[in-house]
Amino acid sequence: MSSRGNPINTVVILVFILFLLLVPAFLKSNYWLHVLSIVGINVILAASVHTIWCTGELSLGTAGFMAMGGYGSALLAMRAGISVWAAMPLGGLLCAIVAVALGYPFMRAKGIYFSILTLLTGEIFRLTAWYYRSLTGGPVGLSHIPSPEPINIPGIAPITFDSKITYYYLIVVAALLSLFVLFRLQRSQVGFTWRIIRERDNLAASVGINVLWYKISAFAIGCFFAGIAGALFAHFMHLLAADASGKFGMFTSIYILIYMVVGGEKKFAGPIIGAVSLTLLPEVFRPMQEYRPIIFGALVIFMIFFMPQGIVDIPHSVLSWGRKMVGR
Amino acid sequence: MLAKTPIKEVKGMDMRGTPVLQVVDLTKYFGGLGAVVDLDLNVHQGEISGLIGPNGAGKTTVLNMIAGTLSPTNGSLIFKGEDITNLPPHRMAKKGIARVFQSNTLFGNVSVITNVRVGLHLHTNIGFWGAFLASSYTHNREKLLHEEAMEILGFVGLSDQRDQLAINLPHGSQRTLCLAVAMAVKPSLLLLDEPLTGMNAEEVNVMISLIKALRDERGITSIIVEHNMRAVMGLCNRIAVLNYGSKIAEGTPTEISENSAVIEAYLGTEQDVA
Repeated sequence: MSSRGNPINTVVILVFILFLLLVPAFLKSNYWLHVLSIVGINVILAASVHTIWCTGELSLGTAGFMAMGGYGSALLAMRAGISVWAAMPLGGLLCAIVAVALGYPFMRAKGIYFSILTLLTGEIFRLTAWYYRSLTGGPVGLSHIPSPEPINIPGIAPITFDSKITYYYLIVVAALLSLFVLFRLQRSQVGFTWRIIRERDNLAASVGINVLWYKISAFAIGCFFAGIAGALFAHFMHLLAADASGKFGMFTSIYILIYMVVGGEKKFAGPIIGAVSLTLLPEVFRPMQEYRPIIFGALVIFMIFFMPQGIVDIPHSVLSWGRKMVGR
Repeated sequence: MLAKTPIKEVKGMDMRGTPVLQVVDLTKYFGGLGAVVDLDLNVHQGEISGLIGPNGAGKTTVLNMIAGTLSPTNGSLIFKGEDITNLPPHRMAKKGIARVFQSNTLFGNVSVITNVRVGLHLHTNIGFWGAFLASSYTHNREKLLHEEAMEILGFVGLSDQRDQLAINLPHGSQRTLCLAVAMAVKPSLLLLDEPLTGMNAEEVNVMISLIKALRDERGITSIIVEHNMRAVMGLCNRIAVLNYGSKIAEGTPTEISENSAVIEAYLGTEQDVA
């Protein structure tokens, strides 16, 4: 995902990937591998919401679509006996199809109304999982979700995915792949058209751009990756429960929005940086866990007042501030 | 309903052939309010048709219906012999109808040339996946589109400002850029909603000559809504006058300026026309 013409970015990204691949060697406990896996899942979620945000619409249904992808993939693997490798993308595809069907009516509402619609739809997905006991186990939860089947590479021992370390690598690969696809999409003509629609939808329509379809496509692609993140989560945890305070509760959707605001929504890297730093931050301040919503809320207000461009813009601000100090 | 003042048919009018756009019984109600009521209008190839009337007469509503932004309550729109009533805006653009909005509607945070490039959207021929997978074909296409955009900018006289952000242009140039974006659609029918508002005398003259050139050099048919009577009288081949949503007169500029009903309803208050 190197951007053409900027060698610094390429180097930063390569070093980062190398770091991700080597990090398990330095970690003594499985606990941190678990945390880093969750970071990877949150990164996919943040990038997926950012893709929808390109068209100017904010989806707050992330957690719901994540639940759909997670339960979809887990149930396909457990009840239908499909290989987990096929079930995970199918879970994402299910989300994309539902997103197209819902996007058609939803995208006629704009701005805050679209956000409210997606927020409530996400909650409905979660509540469906909560009350549909015969299928999802309801409040008891869906347990014994299988790990992905081992891969046989001739010559080397088969790679199994029931340990934290191999699953960590699976999430790293999935996250990098998702980011690569979304980055290319946002930089393409399609991504350009999304941002054009965000700026002036009536003018875009008047020059022949099918605004509704482009918005639906962004929504479907975003929801696909939210579903993939959910599927990765399901086969990672081996246990899903749809309680309101869990991963599928609407707080997750709100947190993803916070990652995007804190990281910076203008650049592709922004939401990723936000997701990484804000998922790691509570781990460092473990004793203050219960105050997390308050701290996050204060952080967002701080960012909006003092750094509206987000963390991603800090190097740029420091540079221009330095230039002002030097006098040029 | 207001009495329609019959205008004598001009000799040789039948030779103009079938109209490009036929507006038949077009009606739009907003709740109980009839914004446009039973409007009939024929727009012929290569003509500039004026649509005038006092504020709130329904002129912009008519344009909105032709552009597909509003769907009519009743009536139909026939464009080149095809029923286009109720088509959404992007389909109207595909049929060859482009518009210039009443207020400056531009993609402010991108460059002038990018605005025109977006206007060329329909002629891009790079599909969803083609755009995703860059190839030499898309590369050549890009080059061609850039040249086309430059040609349009040259026509409206904005070549030198091509790399500026659209939002940084002065009002008059933004208005011309709006026209350039609409031109990029390569329309056969252009809808101009008050293209001269807020312009100084010089900018007005430039815009008038551009609209004239579009008709005379490129054969583009236009419908223009405008309050500047001097411009309307100079530009239009035919003028229709709306008042309270109904057409009260139609004819050549000379006929309209002599029409007593029009003068009473509208022009009587305009000192500069007399």
